[in-house]
Amino acid sequence: MPELLSVEHLNKAYRSGWGLHDINLELPSGVIAALGGPNGSGKSTLLRCLAGLSRYEGAVRIGGRLVDGDPASREDIGYLAQTVAMPEQATIGEVIDLFAQLRGVDRDTIPLPEGYVREDHQRIEILSGGQRHRVALAVALLGTPSLLLLDEPVANLDEQGRATFWRVLRRLRDERGVTAIVSSPSPSELRGLVDLALHMDDGSLVRQEDLRVDAERDQDNGQAYAKETCA
Amino acid sequence: MSATNVVAGWQYRNSVRARWVLIMGAIFALMCVVVTLLAFRTVRELGLTGIGPASATLVNLGVLLPSLMGLLLGAGSVVADRESGMLSMMCAQPIRRSSVATGAFLGLTGSLWSTLGIGFGVSMLILAGVAKSSDVPALATLIGATFAVAAGSVSIGVMVSTLVRSRVQAVSIAVGLWIVLSLGVDLALAALAPSLHMGPGALLFSILVNPLEAGRILALLGTNFHGTALGPFGAYLLERFGKVGTVLVLSGDLLAWIALPLMVARRAMSRNDL
Repeated sequence: MPELLSVEHLNKAYRSGWGLHDINLELPSGVIAALGGPNGSGKSTLLRCLAGLSRYEGAVRIGGRLVDGDPASREDIGYLAQTVAMPEQATIGEVIDLFAQLRGVDRDTIPLPEGYVREDHQRIEILSGGQRHRVALAVALLGTPSLLLLDEPVANLDEQGRATFWRVLRRLRDERGVTAIVSSPSPSELRGLVDLALHMDDGSLVRQEDLRVDAERDQDNGQAYAKETCA
Repeated sequence: MSATNVVAGWQYRNSVRARWVLIMGAIFALMCVVVTLLAFRTVRELGLTGIGPASATLVNLGVLLPSLMGLLLGAGSVVADRESGMLSMMCAQPIRRSSVATGAFLGLTGSLWSTLGIGFGVSMLILAGVAKSSDVPALATLIGATFAVAAGSVSIGVMVSTLVRSRVQAVSIAVGLWIVLSLGVDLALAALAPSLHMGPGALLFSILVNPLEAGRILALLGTNFHGTALGPFGAYLLERFGKVGTVLVLSGDLLAWIALPLMVARRAMSRNDL
């Protein structure tokens, strides 16, 4: 499968020291990757660099195209910040309209089931934390970009909200070849939900695990065990 | 619709719904009405005609309060969106980051102008009873100068907002700037000019670096006040450039105060981390 995301020697330095150190990463189309690591390991910084929000050294390519200052280079990116506080007086419809217009897509292109986000006319001030998070998630999915960078997308969601989120994400992966990087402080909880696990520590990408291989091996082992047992 | 217009519309809507903006707008309108009614009464008691006393008072009101509102509105814009995460979400869209700064400036200036328009509008309705046709240019200059000072203040505020990392910092700087520009510069220069033997160049510089003073002198020029009413800096400008020249210099200065901070803000947005 062709590489959708390619990261080469990405370094991010702060005055106080390294933020990210020599990150190299390649992700094909149609995978969901969990980005894990302890607090302060650089997960959010990496996502912000990939989204073009922070300056860095190195190269990030999406579909072979370099992500730079050109707005068109971010057309294929959907980004969800870790915390988003929308203006209290704004309505859900206004927030979604704002981002649909900025992205230049129809507001009906959110691939979430009806009812996941509350009605358009409702003001942000009456929404709970989880409901607000659903609005932000809807915004990130507008136009179904081919690369989703989601910073702790399920942190504020209830069980039903999480289940729907994962169902939608897997459907986008399977039907449209969407690639997603989902950050989480505890990626082990995402085992079974994601294809890859990326582990960060102290600003470096220290380990990559292909969980699809594990899943296939588990499946093969299971089948072999079943055969032996039957025999 | 361009990204700048989309952001401008968003900022405008949020601004006109903010409680403190509504309260400040109401205070401004109320003060305009009170000032106009008091001046109107004086005019009638003295058997005078024209809008002179009212417009002279409106000049100071129109420079001081809108500049404070503009600085606070601008200062609280980009940095508040940064703190809330909205800025990251907006800039992750396929748009130029600088359009967020320009959009914030346009939206907030539009909101402030709407507020000022209501205040001045009520005053103009009251003044219509005593105004003469010859008063129209004076009123137009007063309103134009006030709107320009307001836009310049928003522009400076937006610039501050793009350069600092917290809303508290931005608002503190905005208030500090307003105090310096509205009081500090004049007082300091008045005290220091004689002892430092400031020449014409320094006097001109001291006017041009203070958009509030430039706006005040410009507004007063329209009302046909001369001499002490214009203050030492205004008198100096008149002597050096004549009336038309002074209007051009001050108008250019106010335009520069709108354009330059906005350029800095756009550059900061494009270059800095969000």
